Amino acid sequence: MKIKVTTKILDANDRIAEENRKMFEEAGVYVVNLMSSPGAGKTSLLEKTIESIKDKVKVGVIEGDITGTNDAERIDKLGVPVVQINTEGACHLDANMIAEAAKELPLKDLDILFIENVGNLVCPAEFKVGENIKVMILSLTEGDDKPLKYPLMFQESSVLLINKIDLKDLLEVSIEKIKKDAQFLNPKIKIFEISCKTGQGIEEWTNWLLTNIS
Amino acid sequence: MHEASIAHELLTLAIKECKNSGYNRIESIKITVGRATGIMTDALLFAFNVLKEGSPADKALLVIEEIPVRGVCKDCGKRFESNENYLIFECPSCGSFSIELVSGKELNITEMEVSNEN
Repeated sequence: MKIKVTTKILDANDRIAEENRKMFEEAGVYVVNLMSSPGAGKTSLLEKTIESIKDKVKVGVIEGDITGTNDAERIDKLGVPVVQINTEGACHLDANMIAEAAKELPLKDLDILFIENVGNLVCPAEFKVGENIKVMILSLTEGDDKPLKYPLMFQESSVLLINKIDLKDLLEVSIEKIKKDAQFLNPKIKIFEISCKTGQGIEEWTNWLLTNIS
Repeated sequence: MHEASIAHELLTLAIKECKNSGYNRIESIKITVGRATGIMTDALLFAFNVLKEGSPADKALLVIEEIPVRGVCKDCGKRFESNENYLIFECPSCGSFSIELVSGKELNITEMEVSNEN
């Protein structure tokens, strides 16, 4: 006999990401999936952001790297709970890795959880991990052609942080072009110009973040 | 894309649906796949036929209906339709990325044939 069904088939990753989403929601923690190329400044941004907000909200971090614990050690110095994931070759974090890592964190005590993805401008954009928002960094030294070359990450992100803004006079790179192309790909994207070195723009970004999570 | 994990999920859902309806064999499964999902149907079929072995669906036929991409450009207002795979979400008329997809993201089980065999 025939049975009529209308069942959505989710990719297994999407299904686990939805379970993560529910778990984070029940624990009352706001989750930020932070993505960029290698060296754009994800860990530096976390250091600056955590210093700026840790007296106001309780922060936790999941660090994703192919190998090593360097980033987690940097975050650990700031006195916030941190878990290191080593993907052992995988070029992105997936929902299952986050489900496992989250068990190591006191989720109920946290207000905000940062997930630092593996440095890569392509694959992390394709895998939901159960986040509330995706935030990406593009550093000026990467060049102003990146939005149109890697459209998915710009389309998936709610926030674009343009980092290393202190170098703008030394580089032949157009901040206006980066902004114009990013907004062309994603008219709703929120853009901040920042420098993790000088601290420029960090307060605007953390104010926006704190308003968003409350 | 991730055809093997999608085939696994599809098989799990179909077997659950079959058991819930009181049957123990799956003869066929019909699914719809939109052309904006990035799914390669050949790879999906291959993965399905490997994974179905030893399951209540081990003789099941997977019937894939591909759904064309339909959309409206928010900038030029033009409607477009395509039967090709569609991965860069760009208006074919004016090149804008500000588009609204009407169809093409489907990935659903729509019908199954089941039976009882002892």
